[in-house]
Amino acid sequence: MRVVRRWLGERLPVTGRQFRELTNEPVPYHLKRWWFALGGTPAYLFIVQIFTGILLAFYYEASPSTAYESVEFITREVSFGWYIRSVHKWAATLMIVTVILHQIRVFFTGAYRKPREINWLVGMCLLFCTLLTGFTGYSLVYEQLSFWGATVGANITDTVPVIGGFLKRMMLGGDSYNQATLSRFFILHAAILPVLIVFLIALHITIIRLQGVTEFRFKDEEEGTPKTFNFFPDHLYTELIIGLVLMVLLSTLATILPATLGPPADPLQTPEVIKPEWFFYVAFRWLKLFAGTAAVLSMGFIVFVMFAWPFIDGWIRKHTRFQEASVWVGLVGALTIIAMTVWEAMVRH
Amino acid sequence: MTLETKRIVIAGLGGLFLLSLVLVQWMETARKAEEAGIRPPHISVPASSRECVECHAEENPGIIAHWEGSTHAEKGVGCVECHGSEREEADSYLHHGAQIATVVTPRDCARCHDHEADEFAQSHHAAGGNILASLDNFLAETVEGARMAFNPHSPTPGKAVDSVEGFASAFSGCQQCHGSKVALQSSDGGRITVDDLAPDADGRPTNLDAVGRIVRDENGRPLMHAGTWPNTGIGRLNLDGSRGSCTACHSRHDFSPRRARQPENCGKCHLGPDHPQKEVYEESKHGIAYRDLRDDMNLDADEWVLGEDYAAAPTCATCHMSGNIRNGGRVTHDPGERISWTNRPAVSLVMDTDVNHRIVTDTDPATRRSLIHDSAEQKRDRMKEVCSHCHTDDYVNSFYRQYDDLVILYNEKFAKPGLAIMGSLVTNGLRTPTEFDEEIEWTWFYLWHHEGRRARHGASMMAPDYTHWHGMYEVAERFYMELIPQAREMIQHARDEGRQAEARAVEAVIDEILARPEHAWFEEGAEAQAARIREEMERRYGRGQQN
Repeated sequence: MRVVRRWLGERLPVTGRQFRELTNEPVPYHLKRWWFALGGTPAYLFIVQIFTGILLAFYYEASPSTAYESVEFITREVSFGWYIRSVHKWAATLMIVTVILHQIRVFFTGAYRKPREINWLVGMCLLFCTLLTGFTGYSLVYEQLSFWGATVGANITDTVPVIGGFLKRMMLGGDSYNQATLSRFFILHAAILPVLIVFLIALHITIIRLQGVTEFRFKDEEEGTPKTFNFFPDHLYTELIIGLVLMVLLSTLATILPATLGPPADPLQTPEVIKPEWFFYVAFRWLKLFAGTAAVLSMGFIVFVMFAWPFIDGWIRKHTRFQEASVWVGLVGALTIIAMTVWEAMVRH
Repeated sequence: MTLETKRIVIAGLGGLFLLSLVLVQWMETARKAEEAGIRPPHISVPASSRECVECHAEENPGIIAHWEGSTHAEKGVGCVECHGSEREEADSYLHHGAQIATVVTPRDCARCHDHEADEFAQSHHAAGGNILASLDNFLAETVEGARMAFNPHSPTPGKAVDSVEGFASAFSGCQQCHGSKVALQSSDGGRITVDDLAPDADGRPTNLDAVGRIVRDENGRPLMHAGTWPNTGIGRLNLDGSRGSCTACHSRHDFSPRRARQPENCGKCHLGPDHPQKEVYEESKHGIAYRDLRDDMNLDADEWVLGEDYAAAPTCATCHMSGNIRNGGRVTHDPGERISWTNRPAVSLVMDTDVNHRIVTDTDPATRRSLIHDSAEQKRDRMKEVCSHCHTDDYVNSFYRQYDDLVILYNEKFAKPGLAIMGSLVTNGLRTPTEFDEEIEWTWFYLWHHEGRRARHGASMMAPDYTHWHGMYEVAERFYMELIPQAREMIQHARDEGRQAEARAVEAVIDEILARPEHAWFEEGAEAQAARIREEMERRYGRGQQN
């Protein structure tokens, strides 16, 4: 062991003490409370996605004539293929859930406020990258619903004023779904978006490390409670427990509710019911309520407000007496999202 | 939480995760073992069908054994999922707590297989029951049988026979392939069919008076009319208004895809003197290859896609229904989707069909274009996709040229002339409109319905003997040696009765036909041609040889 340490010490300019200092960053005491430690769960799930995604990519073929068959082959023929695909599917679902939960926690605790506005923007970008990855991943299956979901998605993009047509052509690689579309989705899903997410996560964590995690004190804390505790091993154990719970949960979901496969895409036959994945239900319902360009523009405005909220909130707090406006806006927003998602889930069409 | 507790929790969760991986490994091993046939597939009996399975395992063990070997059993589809019915349905009854119907119709299968049921409903198979109003059925019900029950005219030792069922030939013959009109016994002694029940769009009867007349046993079970049930004819007319019977091809209760893929399955109906497709197939290179290479057919494959799961030989299903790599593995339950001629009628028709899947018979090109929804060429292209797995384009196109030529030769030389002669005999009163009461009507029926079809089916599936000796040879012999002489005899008979004008009219039709170049040899002789043939035979085999 000593030989190895010396060998490494001669080659890496970091001493053991320096390494311990680097890894043993003091962690704010409120992170002892579990729900504040959930920020890392999307990152765990992202690692699971990278791992299972690489395994799936060994067999997946991104062309309309072979995509569905390759997914079917993975599910039915490849050893453990069904399990890997199911874990990938459930990890995607949980990743979106945990990103949203993390965002809700940050929002309601006001952790986005000055000086953390930039990290909020990075987080928002991560949210949209995650949603896009989910959208492109579902489209790759090339079953009837995923094909028509992507087609409807492209048509909605087309209604964006000025740049809609361009975006749609960029998305599909032509005016309509064609041979090139699936390979575009695949490159986006398996290369561009993951790299972007890695970059954004790194930026997110770097900013956290530079600014330090927002510190919270709670009324029930005893006098003399230390402000911080050690990352290693205390917080690492916490993260390990969260990771293991996730793995057990994923494994259970994958075996009890494995990923299914609908009928293959038929571009000539529009299904009676077209629905996107659950995380787009809210947008889909919105588009049904306010048809056409108005719906797209209003949705664009909402997204803009979500991005700019730290600045809007700052202005409200500075110039009005509504210091807790964000709580009420957040409540109304969250309830609206839940209600519209449930509404869309309940209706057949 | 202390560090020690955290360590224990981590160990516990780690163990749990490893356990889940062991479970996954076990599931994977079991799956592979089932696929390899080492272990019988896992069967799950749904709670709703548990009592049915327990009881029928005693009463009818074969039914349960078949079901246990089915994909339905693997997927947890039990008895009630198919036999379950609404109380309002005409043939519904309460059976040990479950509301069921005995007859499972395509409407029932469509609860899960709606796409397949839709395709089937559009097919000619689903219209197979239309025979109940056809010439063939007139044969079975009137000529072979009687359209009533009649009294026996002498005793049958050992059997008390007090009435003869006049429809027996139709019930046990035609309708077992074409499908019966399923009937329930009526309290007035008659039958209650779909016509009486007038079902609505959901298959529920709207004529409650007819429902009230249904005879039921002491347990409330409606009594089926024995002539019409059991029946698995492919165009069965069901009480709920649906047409067809999925079990015609997917035998109950194992619903084996393997069996549906084999030619013997189609051979239940597609054989015999009038439509020997099964025998034609067996004579063809396709059938020969299948017999030899059956073990390489991968008949148990999940999808059974030609070019992916097998390529050894084609069966009926391969060409007419199954998926192939060229069409993305798309299976159709409408066998007509790939057929470009219909060789069923006396004169073959090109399979240009309208939106209702009816053949467009209009002759005006513009009208045809406006009516055609799915052309014969499109259908042929779909078939060519199948052919092209083993044959080059030139080969396939030249085969179709040979096939077209044979069908057109038969149509033009014998079928259309035959129809014209038979038509002129009726219009001029030389024969009665009643079919099969005169010899020439049997002659004509043999010519097109048996021999003419054999020739065309033989050519369609590359069976030379059926095309020639069982086909065109017999067509020609029947035409020249029976139809024409019998027609001339009827003309002479009319002349003898003083009906000169009528006799001349029919004679003019025959003379015009026989004066055509293709028939000229018959009356003018073909001595020059015969001499040439004799010369060639002598050159080949020596003097004195005749053939």
